[in-house]
Amino acid sequence: MHEFSIASGLVEKLLDFAEKNPDRKIVEVRVAIGEFTQIEEEQLSFCYESIITEMPLAGSRLSIEEVPGKVACPHCFYRGAPKYWEGVLSGAPVATLQCPNCGKAAEAIEGNECAIRSIRYRANELKFHSDCQGSGQS
Amino acid sequence: MAQPGAVQVTLEASPDEIYDIELEHSLLEANEKLAVENRALLDKKGITAIDFMGAIGSGKTTLITKLVGKLKDKFGVAVFNGDATTSNDADAISQQNVPVVQIATINGCHLDANLVGKGLKRIDLENLKMIFIENIGNLICPAEFPLGSKARVVVVSVTEGPWMVRKHPHMFLGSQVVVINKIDLADAMEVSVEQLINDVHQLKPDIKVIPTSCKNGIGLDEVAETLLAI
Repeated sequence: MHEFSIASGLVEKLLDFAEKNPDRKIVEVRVAIGEFTQIEEEQLSFCYESIITEMPLAGSRLSIEEVPGKVACPHCFYRGAPKYWEGVLSGAPVATLQCPNCGKAAEAIEGNECAIRSIRYRANELKFHSDCQGSGQS
Repeated sequence: MAQPGAVQVTLEASPDEIYDIELEHSLLEANEKLAVENRALLDKKGITAIDFMGAIGSGKTTLITKLVGKLKDKFGVAVFNGDATTSNDADAISQQNVPVVQIATINGCHLDANLVGKGLKRIDLENLKMIFIENIGNLICPAEFPLGSKARVVVVSVTEGPWMVRKHPHMFLGSQVVVINKIDLADAMEVSVEQLINDVHQLKPDIKVIPTSCKNGIGLDEVAETLLAI
């Protein structure tokens, strides 16, 4: 469950941001997860939601952007999408480091990302009002 | 749904009150930075660290014990043993009379560069040439956490069945050597070693794959030579 370690690191960074910017309320964080990582998006979201309960981040949303893998071949100089290993058991095709052009070993140049891309926040000059849930009035 | 009569405070912001801030920040950066520091320290001391990853029961401890037995008279060798709860593996390797650092992750699923860095401070590095790091028995989580080692070795054994490579492809992508262990049991397990080798090469054509049997000593010299040449 390494997603928990990653979600903890993410929350730590966001709390740091929140502390430095008390006038900003984080509503969404956008992270990029590369295709070559072994980070499961649903588990990451679940860990994030579990951690942020009862924190200033409670209610914020985690959006995950999947970064497609890209390889470069030092042998034939191919650059582009990786070769996929089809029909591996019953799962989805697996991105490999075999060059789709010449079959030799290629290197991953994109797809190893695990990073915060941006934070969406609300300036704290908010209009407070009370009403019954779902009334939709402001 | 709110209870009848319940008052709910709602915050509403108009779109012009919502802002985005670009913040390129790697979530693995903290570990990667420590891994680089570990590596710099090891390079300075002339030590090659090798990280062994693999499932519980794949034979990591036995393989490391055999390698230590082969190499310890030639130069200084130490072992770091990652284990979630027990010190069984560290105890076993201690019998080789080499420095052993037990790293208890307290149920954590992988070693990280911070723990290894702490371990490096606990032993005398002066006369060492190699450190073997045994990661937690887990074929998923350790992949995202480099430790500062010069190479990563994945140990799979035929007793884990024919699909280990296909089920855990990511672990192989970031590694330099694969050991296919317990080949003396391949026939009994009806597992094709050739197929496992082909599967690894599908993922990464240049990765070195060495079939071994720790029981019969097959392939162990080749593993030692390969790791020394890294």
